[in-house]
Amino acid sequence: MSAVIETSGLGKRYRRLWALADCTLSIPAGHVVGLVGPNGAGKTTLLNLAVGLIAPTAGTIEVLGGAPAAGQAQLARVGFLAQDAPVYAGLSVADHLRLGARLNPGWDAGLARGRVGRLDLDPGQKAGTLSGGQRAQLALTLAVAKRPELLVLDEPVASLDPLARREFLADLMEAVAEQDLSVVLSSHLVADLERVCDYLIVLLGSRVRVAGPVDELLATHHLLTGPYRDPGTLPAGQQVITASHTDVQTTLLVRTTGQILDPAWTVSEVSLEDLVLAYMSQATGRRDRGGRRHLEVRK
Amino acid sequence: MIWLTWRQARGQAVTAAAALAVFAVLLAVTGPHLASLYAASGITSCHGGTPCDTAASHFLSRLAGTSPYPVVYLLGIALILVVPAIIGMFWGAPLIARELETRTFTLAWNQSITRTRWLAVKLAATGLAAMAITEALSLTYAWWADPIGKARDLAASVPGLAHPFTGGPLSSWVFATSGITPLGYAAFAFTLGTAAGALIRRTVPAMAITLAIFAAVQVAMPLWIRPHLIPPERTVVSGPSFFESAGLSVGTLQATTVPGQPSAWILSSGAINAAGQPVSTIPAPCLSSSAGAVGKGAPPNAGACMASRGIREAITYQPASRYWPLQWIETAIFLALALALAGCCFWRTGRRRTRRAQSPSATPRQDTVAASPRRGSRA
Repeated sequence: MSAVIETSGLGKRYRRLWALADCTLSIPAGHVVGLVGPNGAGKTTLLNLAVGLIAPTAGTIEVLGGAPAAGQAQLARVGFLAQDAPVYAGLSVADHLRLGARLNPGWDAGLARGRVGRLDLDPGQKAGTLSGGQRAQLALTLAVAKRPELLVLDEPVASLDPLARREFLADLMEAVAEQDLSVVLSSHLVADLERVCDYLIVLLGSRVRVAGPVDELLATHHLLTGPYRDPGTLPAGQQVITASHTDVQTTLLVRTTGQILDPAWTVSEVSLEDLVLAYMSQATGRRDRGGRRHLEVRK
Repeated sequence: MIWLTWRQARGQAVTAAAALAVFAVLLAVTGPHLASLYAASGITSCHGGTPCDTAASHFLSRLAGTSPYPVVYLLGIALILVVPAIIGMFWGAPLIARELETRTFTLAWNQSITRTRWLAVKLAATGLAAMAITEALSLTYAWWADPIGKARDLAASVPGLAHPFTGGPLSSWVFATSGITPLGYAAFAFTLGTAAGALIRRTVPAMAITLAIFAAVQVAMPLWIRPHLIPPERTVVSGPSFFESAGLSVGTLQATTVPGQPSAWILSSGAINAAGQPVSTIPAPCLSSSAGAVGKGAPPNAGACMASRGIREAITYQPASRYWPLQWIETAIFLALALALAGCCFWRTGRRRTRRAQSPSATPRQDTVAASPRRGSRA
């Protein structure tokens, strides 16, 4: 399968601070890819580089086989929804659709009108008076109706309330199902990603910690609970992601393609959220299972 | 793209058109009466020489005392000087800065249109509108002020023209508000505002900077730059008649007109004695030759007295015939500056390819990256 985004040694520096450094990754096509990591991991920088809003300081990035924002054709192939979904406050909903129609040769007017009608957006209403959820929906409509091959969404639901968040994601899924779209979507909210993504990339400190189809990740990670044991004595092929111990008990998150045969372990499934948090806490060297707290500290 | 430019600038354009219309109505209401005053003044029926000068001078004096002409005259000049500044502040400064501030550039720059084209259309459409509005204002005003200009040219050799109609075509304000210079000023102010917005990235500070720089340029141009666009002429006048003519300010011995060069723009002038040293007052012996004659004009025979002492008047000036060459040069300078500023906008909004990191050691440890989320989330 070809890659929608491929980077090599990619870096971006703002004055003296590196927002993204030495990032090498490949995002496959045909997936809804969740890009997850704490704030500061470089997600926004990576996505802005991918749509060509900023230029890399180091390394290379290819999007759909071309340089980001290299020309009109490349721009037409990639849809982007920036953080907080900015829209022109003084322009009405209808004006935004007209903007999309005028500036995009591949504009699907029927799709755009249909979406606006379905979402109960008043075409005459100024975009500045829309609620956060409606604004995000309008911006998504613009991004989808230009009929891109790749849709890039940067924290699309971060500022929405839970209901608006659910509606937005359901709507996004509908658009993805209707069109043959690859989607890359960043978030630090794993629960949202779990609902929509079939491929996951955990990015931390510019580095890919783990990447793969969600099904596969869930099938190969297990939570083991049992009597105290040194993780070093596990069989080969069982990679320990996190380990925590009490005096008598050991809890391990292991990655293995094989079966867990040792009867001493109580094996349980891991949720995607546990899995992500485990990788994040592993990366920062924290061993506590309060990974959730760790995420919030990061916010 | 033109549609979007229009849609975003619609409010401003309507405001500008309305203001222009109000001023045009004011001119249209007062203009015909001004023209009839001119027709009745006897200027049109005279056949040159002193009668014409006198009629013109008289017309201007009468006009100076007739409301609302002095006010409209000054208002027009002020408006043409101020409009480019307003355009730079309210059209130029927000053009890019507001997109950056409200982050709508992420929307605009991800449509199927390159950023270069986006900016080119915005700059060209809005910039040409700015130039058109300013020049339209200037032309309307020129139509209205045409009788005043004609009378002033006729009366140029008559000293002490009625305020405020004193300045010739090359004087600071008249020159900058007539001819084609308004085109240059408008283009410069607009691109100055846009470039300031692109560099500062915030609308209000960009507006302030635009106003400050543009006002400074407007002051600097007539004071220090325009006089030297073409090397000025220099003449030395001698003889008693000039010292006794009204073309000389008695208190300072500075020339107010150049003999044989009506409407010339005097850059500097002063009397010099036989040794070439400046003289700023009438020498005492010449004054005493006609004791008691204090007041208007030089005392009788003072001119002959000064001439006999070898005192001459040196004048540096730009002849009125250089009006159009100076207009073209000044307009070209501002258009070139506008192009440079537009280039700066393209450079700033384009994808600036920063240098590649020089060495791997420049790459920080990851925790530094993670510790700077604010920078990281900046677009």
